[in-house]
Amino acid sequence: MDHAIIVEKLNVWIRGNHVLKDIDLKVPQGSVTAIMGPSGSGKSTLLRSINRLVELVPGTRVKGKVMVFGRDIYSEDPYRVRKDVTMVSQTPNPFPHMSIYDNVAIGPKIHKLVKSKKELDKLVRWALEKAMLWDEVKDRLHEPPTVLSGGQQQRLCLARALALKPKILMLDEPTANIDPVNSKKIEEAIKALVRDEGITVIFVTHTPAQAVRVSDFIAFIYNGRIVEYGPSRELALNPTHELTEKFLRGEIG
Amino acid sequence: MMDSRTIKEKAFLITIFILTLLGVTPVFYVLASVFYKGIEAFARRGLGILIKINGGILPALVGSFVLSILSTIIGVVLAFVAGLFVAEFPNSWVSKATRVASRSLLEVPTVLLGMLVYIILVVPTGHFSLLAGALALALVMLPYVMVHVEQALESVPQLYKEAGYSIGMSRAQVLFGVSVGIAKRGIASGVLMGFAKAMGETAPLLFTIGAARSSLPCSILSPGDAVPLMIFQYAQMPQEYYHDLAWAGSLVLVIAFLVVFFVVRRLVKEVRY
Ligand SMILES: Nc1ncnc2c1ncn2[C@@H]1O[C@H](COP(=O)(O)OP(=O)(O)OP(=O)(O)O)[C@@H](O)[C@H]1O
Ligand SMILES: [Mg+2]
Repeated sequence: MDHAIIVEKLNVWIRGNHVLKDIDLKVPQGSVTAIMGPSGSGKSTLLRSINRLVELVPGTRVKGKVMVFGRDIYSEDPYRVRKDVTMVSQTPNPFPHMSIYDNVAIGPKIHKLVKSKKELDKLVRWALEKAMLWDEVKDRLHEPPTVLSGGQQQRLCLARALALKPKILMLDEPTANIDPVNSKKIEEAIKALVRDEGITVIFVTHTPAQAVRVSDFIAFIYNGRIVEYGPSRELALNPTHELTEKFLRGEIG
Repeated sequence: MMDSRTIKEKAFLITIFILTLLGVTPVFYVLASVFYKGIEAFARRGLGILIKINGGILPALVGSFVLSILSTIIGVVLAFVAGLFVAEFPNSWVSKATRVASRSLLEVPTVLLGMLVYIILVVPTGHFSLLAGALALALVMLPYVMVHVEQALESVPQLYKEAGYSIGMSRAQVLFGVSVGIAKRGIASGVLMGFAKAMGETAPLLFTIGAARSSLPCSILSPGDAVPLMIFQYAQMPQEYYHDLAWAGSLVLVIAFLVVFFVVRRLVKEVRY
C-alpha cells in the first residue's frame, strides 16, 4: 500500500520541553487517521510538525524525518509544504478583514491555481460545497465571516483549506466546541472528501465514538509517544495497552 | 425605594458625567471660539482673504497644504517601514535601538527637530524651503505613527497569522495580507494622530521654511509659509487686521483637519473579530 505520510523517529522540543518522542507513523493514502490522547500529550504538535507550522514558535527544535508522498518535507520549501498539506486549526480563524468569498479565494489566488475569475468562482463554490457550507452562505458571500456561527466559521476554514486542492488534510479537533448538528456536517464532509476526492485525512479528536465513525486508524498518543496504533474499531474495542484502555474509559485526559 | 447599591451606582455615574464634562468643556470652548472668531474675521474682512497673497492667507494655506502632503509621505513611509520592522523582528538589536530612539524622539522638544533640519538641510543648501519644513514635521510625526503601527500590528492575534501560514502564505504575504489588513484601522488612526500633531506644529517650522508670506512658493525647494506659523506671528502683531487673519487661518486649519479626520475614519472600517 502507498503511504501518504511516513513519520520516522520524529522528536520535537519546544523551549527545551521534549514534546514529541520518537514518533513513528505511517498513514496510507486515502485513509483517515484519528489522533487521540490526553490534553497536552502532543497531538497538535504532531500535526504541526507534518506541515512545519511548529517552527513558527521560537525555540523549537525538530529531529527526525517526515516524508509526504516520498518527499522529505524538512528539506523543502515550508510554504509549499503547507500548501500541499493544509491544516484546519483547533479554533476557527477565518480572516476577519476579508469577505466569506475572499477567505476561500485567497489561497488559490496567492498560489496562482486559477487563471480567470470564472475559474476562481467555480473553485470557491466547489470548496464551500465540499465543506457543506455553500447553501448557508451563497447569498452572503460578500459579508464578513463574523456573521457566521462558530460551527459555520469552522467549516469556512475547512473550505479555505480545500480551495488549495490539497492531497492531505489535517484537522485539529474540528468539532470541539461545536454543536452536534455542525459536528455531523463536518464528519460528513470528511467522509465525502475521502470517498470522492481521495484525500488523505488526519484529525485530532477527543471523542472515541467519533474516531470510530470517521476514521480507519487510530493513533493513541500519551506524553509525546505513540502508545498504540491500529485499525479504529479494533483499537477502540480491544485496546492492547493499559493507558489506551484507561483513556477510552475516560479515566485519563 | 432605592437600595444603597443603586444609590452608589447613581452617584458613581453622576461623578463620571461631571468629570467628563469638565474634561471636554475646554475642548469645546476652544473649538467654539475658533469658529466664532474665525467666522467673525471672515465677516469683517471678506472671503477674499482666502485667495489674497499680500494681506491674505493664501501663501500660508498653500504652504500648509504642501507641507501636509510632503511630510505625511516622508513621515508615514518611514514610520510604517520602521513600525513593521519592529513588530516583525521584535528581538533584533535594530528593533530595540529603533524603539528606544523613537520613544526618545517623542520627548524631544520639536523646536530642536527644526534646528536639526536647519543644520543638515538649510545650511548646506543655503536657503529655507518647504522641503526642510516637511522633513522637520516628518520627524515630529515619525515616532507617533511608528508606535501606533507597531502596536496595531502587535495586537493582531497570532491565530490569524497562523491561518495565513497554514495555507502556505509567505512571511511577507502574512504581514501585508493578514496583519496589515486586520490592523488597518489602528494604523490609520496612528497616521491621523501623527498628521494632526504635525499639522498643528509651529516650532519645527521656525528655522526651516522661512515664513515667506508675501509670495507663493514656486517649488518645494523655495521658502514658504504655514498656517500655524502665520498664526503665531500674526497674533503678536498690534494690528487688529492681522489678528483677524490669524483667526481665519485657525478656522481653515480646524475645518481641514476635521474633514481629513472624518473621511479617513469613514474609509477605513474597523475589523471586528
Ligand atoms: N507554543 C508553545 N510554547 C511552549 N510550549 C508549547 C507550545 N505549544 C505546545 N507546547 C507544549 O507542548 C506540549 C504539547 O502540546 P500540544 O498543544 O501539542 O498538546 P495537545 O495534545 O494538542 O493538547 P490539547 O488536547 O489540549 O490541544 C504541551 O506540554 C505544551 O505545553
Ligand atoms: Mg491541541
